[in-house]
Amino acid sequence: MTALTVVVAALAFLSAVGVVGFSQTIYSALSLIANMVCLSVLFLLLNAQFLAAVQVIIYAGAVMVLFVFIIALLNPGAEDSPDRSSLRYGLGVVAIAYVVVQFYILATNGTTFNKDTHVLRGQTLALRANPHDPSFQFTTDAVNAAGNVQTTGGQLFTTFLLPFEITSLLLLVAAVGAVSLTRRTPQDRGA
Amino acid sequence: MLDTNVAFPTLLALSAGIFTVGGFGVLIRRNPLVVFMCIELMLNAVNLAFVDFGRFLNSEEGQIFAFMVIVVAAAEVVVGLALITQVFRSGRELDVDELSELKE
Repeated sequence: MTALTVVVAALAFLSAVGVVGFSQTIYSALSLIANMVCLSVLFLLLNAQFLAAVQVIIYAGAVMVLFVFIIALLNPGAEDSPDRSSLRYGLGVVAIAYVVVQFYILATNGTTFNKDTHVLRGQTLALRANPHDPSFQFTTDAVNAAGNVQTTGGQLFTTFLLPFEITSLLLLVAAVGAVSLTRRTPQDRGA
Repeated sequence: MLDTNVAFPTLLALSAGIFTVGGFGVLIRRNPLVVFMCIELMLNAVNLAFVDFGRFLNSEEGQIFAFMVIVVAAAEVVVGLALITQVFRSGRELDVDELSELKE
């Protein structure tokens, strides 16, 4: 584990806390951008170069520009407090504690990780979890020899062609939906 | 390059942490824009878990799935922000507690 990983992971978590913690909306948005850039660095360290580039271009670029634009357009004021009712706050804390306990149970029982044999043992993953199994074709060396973008693209256009095409349909629906939602009707113009 | 033995559980824990923080934000914040950003945070955490698992299992599928999640999140942001803009244009306050017309 390199020092870079530790620093970037800590920054990612701190900026995630910042998204929730800042009372000014624009600070939350900037914190979210920092979080996405940190995650992109982690993707690079995890040998996912294509996804790191996509993360920066689509998330930190397109999506967050849209967010910042809408924040500038609507100009929402700062929240005086996260929530007025302490009952809601308490319920939130209880729900989060429940999720943390679930994560803990899952981490200790559902999927266990054996450091020595390098095997991930879980109820569903047990059969496929051994990276030394010759059926695993996408080892780091093999992917790096062919190039990460080439491997990912090859997978997208062969094995995952149907999901990929459905995704394009989804984007079309989203574009049409956004236009029809924000369109001004003739009555609006008259008023 | 990362040492998988140490980095895999650490990054899974980071993913769980970011997901939890995002879920907490969805529960306690009242500005719909911030609630939206917290949902993005949770999606990002799931992406990190996908890529981490993919790296650990020497599989490309984790990255493909994370790519799909990014696309769906982008589509969701477009529609969601259009809705928020419409709500604001109709003269209502930007507060998820006040937006209860659908309930009645």
